Amino acid sequence: MTNVLEVENLKVHFPTGKGGKVHAVDGLSFTLAPGTAFGLVGESGSGKTTAAMACARLTDITSGTVRLNGRDITHVSGAELKKARRDIQVVFQDPYASLNPRERAGSIVRRPMDLLEIGSPSERDARVDELFALVGLRPDQKDLFPHQFSGGQRQRIGVARALATNPGLIVCDEPVSALDVAIQAQILNLLGRLKRDLGLSYLFISHDLAVVQHLCDQIAVMYLGQIVEIGSRKELFTRPLHPYTHALISAVPSPERIGLDGNARIRLKGDPPSPISPPEGCRFAGRCAFAEDRCRATTPPLRVIEGGHAVACHRAEEPDLAAIAIAQAESLPAG
Amino acid sequence: MTTPLLSVRDLEIAFRSDGTDIPVVRDLSFDLAHGETLGIVGESGCGKSITALSLLGLVPSPPGRVTKGQILFEGEDLVGAREQRLNQVRGNDISMVFQEPMTSLNPVYTIGEQIAETARVHFGLSKAKAWKRAVEMLSLVGIPSPDQRAYDYPHQLSGGMRQRVMIAIALVCEPKILIADEPTTALDVTVQAQIFDLFQDLKRQIGAAIILITHDIGVVAQMTDRVMVMYAGRKIEEGPVAQFVRDPRHPYTSGLVSCIPRLMMPPSDEVEDLFEIPGVVPAPRDLNRPGCPFSPRCNRVMPRCRDENPALEVRADGRKVACWLETEVAA
Repeated sequence: MTNVLEVENLKVHFPTGKGGKVHAVDGLSFTLAPGTAFGLVGESGSGKTTAAMACARLTDITSGTVRLNGRDITHVSGAELKKARRDIQVVFQDPYASLNPRERAGSIVRRPMDLLEIGSPSERDARVDELFALVGLRPDQKDLFPHQFSGGQRQRIGVARALATNPGLIVCDEPVSALDVAIQAQILNLLGRLKRDLGLSYLFISHDLAVVQHLCDQIAVMYLGQIVEIGSRKELFTRPLHPYTHALISAVPSPERIGLDGNARIRLKGDPPSPISPPEGCRFAGRCAFAEDRCRATTPPLRVIEGGHAVACHRAEEPDLAAIAIAQAESLPAG
Repeated sequence: MTTPLLSVRDLEIAFRSDGTDIPVVRDLSFDLAHGETLGIVGESGCGKSITALSLLGLVPSPPGRVTKGQILFEGEDLVGAREQRLNQVRGNDISMVFQEPMTSLNPVYTIGEQIAETARVHFGLSKAKAWKRAVEMLSLVGIPSPDQRAYDYPHQLSGGMRQRVMIAIALVCEPKILIADEPTTALDVTVQAQIFDLFQDLKRQIGAAIILITHDIGVVAQMTDRVMVMYAGRKIEEGPVAQFVRDPRHPYTSGLVSCIPRLMMPPSDEVEDLFEIPGVVPAPRDLNRPGCPFSPRCNRVMPRCRDENPALEVRADGRKVACWLETEVAA
């Protein structure tokens, strides 16, 4: 079966205006199998959103290849790009900013079909009705404007719009992080149900590890434009390997960690280095408690440890790092 | 019995709309002890933030105002206090860290100046001394090379650094109460962890009491001693944090606790749907209907709930819950 998405050595660089360039995405490779969800996690500035936008051809690609359902879409334009857009749609982070305030909900959901010329006008109307039902909105709400909806309902409109062209792949860029907790559950359940019922694939961007674990089958952890660890949900959360992954897991405020002392956690000091001039060697070395001279000297390649589990760390298998994974697991519930 | 540091009694805050006062907070009473961290939890629109603003006399007026009740700070009622007096209290005694570190700092002043200004105004320090104090504060909140960074403008700092500056401003006068309204929602988890470590350290060093407003149950569990849950402007549950997480009593509280995905190591093989609280928080103007305001969203609703609003009852174990289920069980 063809992969829904194949990304090879993707680079997205932005000029800074001073002759330099921001290495937002710097050599990213992964594949996304049909009917699965692929999670990209990392801090702001790690390049996860830029990578996803490049896959959806919403930002220019500097080099590398993006294949959608086996077809190279890296540089397609015009009719070819429109055709590709039918198969890849986006749900954005902020449902307050991503819906036109002057357009009625029904028209918003219908818009992608109009723009990409899908079906006859009456077929489009029927599809809007179908989509409203699918995401849990009432048909009479088609005539309302975005401000007449709550945040959760707006995100339902965003999901309906993304589904309008019947795409195989949806890019979800932090789809619940702007929503209230109780509403997050509603949207996450909706996304889970659509994946099961329609066989959808997701490229899911999030900084929330618990959300990613809940929804994604494969997960890549990004740091400063690169993947530092990648694996299945089971692999990554049973035996996390990269010190940065440990730090992310450690930083999750979990109800099970009542009153857990800050000292029991891995404290990451400082901020990530500038993506304009990324440091030599491992990009995480400056914040890593386990960094040695070789980490600062040579860039660790992404190497396979077991199955689909790969890590970019010289010291990943060493006992003191493994001990941290065990300590983390002890402070969290087992599934 | 000693006077609590802060004691809020029967607080009602209303907003005037079309000639009538619409209450957004009602019958709210709570205490805060020295050195304690109190969490206030609930969805947006439940009255958390406006309650926090009222403690500083910052309810936007008009259209809003405190219509009933008392806010007793060390025994002194701040409701109706003169602006001059409130200015002394703000910063000196009670200070606040806001949600958005991007918009709460002045973009045209250096961060050093913004911290020093607070120190000058409240302590009457000389310019040089205030600057020195600003640098000390930057160091206290963990900003590297503070003597140089004090000359930076807000845009030169990352989100986490800006939030540290906000905390430095809030703490420069060593307040007795620090109110933090969703202080980390705009930040990454790793930065959030740094900020919370900082809060814990500062609490130990300065001994301030903290009111933490959040909707993140994980944050509540990690940071607070006691939790108060608000729904539709009322307190519906209050108790120690461990009981809040492990044995929530009100169906809204248990919904909040169980609707979030939990990080598990190792992960479960099967993923189940999350618990959902259906619907949304009612608008304040819809609250005059009889019955429990949560009843339309409640999965354990009984006929009685639709007719009568349950009062906040104190349980045998000292926890407080406003739900008819409690009385049913007791009866």
